[in-house]
Amino acid sequence: MRTLRLLRRRRALLNCAPISQNHPADRSMRAAVSREDGSDEFVNQQNFDRALAELIRLVPIPAESAEWFSENEAIRAPRWTWRKIVLNPAVLAISIALLVIAGVFAFHLLGQLNDFPGSATARKLLTVAGSTRSVMLDPVIAEAGTLSDLFFMKHGLEHYDVPDEFADFQTIGCRVFDDDESQRIAQIWVGEKRMQFFLFPAERDSKTGTVLAFPGWRYVHQEGWVGAVTEHNGVCFMAVLKGREKDLEPYLSGPKQ
Amino acid sequence: MPDQKQNLPQLYRFCFLMLGDSRKAQEVFNTTLREAAVRAAQGELPKEPFWLFREARWRCLEASKTDLQPESLKIDEHDIAPQAASQIKQLEPAQLAIWISAAPDPQRTALALFYLDEFDYLEILDIAELKLNTLSRCLAQGRRQLQAWLDAKHSGEPKV
Repeated sequence: MRTLRLLRRRRALLNCAPISQNHPADRSMRAAVSREDGSDEFVNQQNFDRALAELIRLVPIPAESAEWFSENEAIRAPRWTWRKIVLNPAVLAISIALLVIAGVFAFHLLGQLNDFPGSATARKLLTVAGSTRSVMLDPVIAEAGTLSDLFFMKHGLEHYDVPDEFADFQTIGCRVFDDDESQRIAQIWVGEKRMQFFLFPAERDSKTGTVLAFPGWRYVHQEGWVGAVTEHNGVCFMAVLKGREKDLEPYLSGPKQ
Repeated sequence: MPDQKQNLPQLYRFCFLMLGDSRKAQEVFNTTLREAAVRAAQGELPKEPFWLFREARWRCLEASKTDLQPESLKIDEHDIAPQAASQIKQLEPAQLAIWISAAPDPQRTALALFYLDEFDYLEILDIAELKLNTLSRCLAQGRRQLQAWLDAKHSGEPKV
């Protein structure tokens, strides 16, 4: 049955065998032709086909129709140039959408790269700094470094120490308040560039309770305010002023990120 | 689309073989190309290969619909003779075109496309939307009938 089908297919292919060698035949056609090559019947068929093809090549083309041959370009699909592809509305729309997506992705990625344990609290405190007036604080005129004792003795806040870089600054006032997560926050206002300091508990691992420490200073930004945060003994210190990183940089020592 | 597939002289010859009439062939050829030029200008030129031939084929079939149709008679068939090539050499292209155009479709399309010697059998199957067996049958039968006609022509016998 299979052999019969194969023979029928070979016969069918032979009936369609190429007239000239211009057309590359597929493998099944080549196989069928090579098996039959030389047989009288196939030679007759090929001669017959060639003679007919030659006769058809003699069909004259009327002058009116021949005019089209010089205008062959007119019926050719326009070539796609890079400029055309780029200016295609669909391509343009997709490109813009991809750029926006890439921009949002990059923005989030950069945001996450700058994140550190406690950055969320630090940003919230920048908002607090922006809305605080000096009259809201208890007036205290002292060196900022000395307030650690005040925080410890009056409020029981351990390790709420102002780093050495800012310890000599003269304070105007300070206060201790609870934020919306009931964390004890110490806020200090100093005369130098109307700078504010915040001391708040460092972020802890939710499972083990260990402090999530980070080295050096980290910057946070919020609505024109900039803060430089460092962690020491489970307490974060943040120096805040209205301005840019470069305004804070001269006060910081050690690695900044 | 490769230039080979846009072979316009062959497109005209195809129309001529399909219609057997130079005036009608020109009409279909010109209409097809005019349509193509309009589509090209609008940037809507079909991307598939051979579309010019496919388009021309439908126009030819449409154009010959209103023509007088040959009676469906049993046509003689002869085995291909060794002297067939010399018999064909004595023919005029127009005679062959008239003979092919009188064949029923899809045999007419199959013979016209095949003897243009422009396409391989797979391309013909694609343009004419035929199966291999049908194409093979159309060509084999066409050869035998054409041989019978050639024989009749050369023996001077009146044949169908």
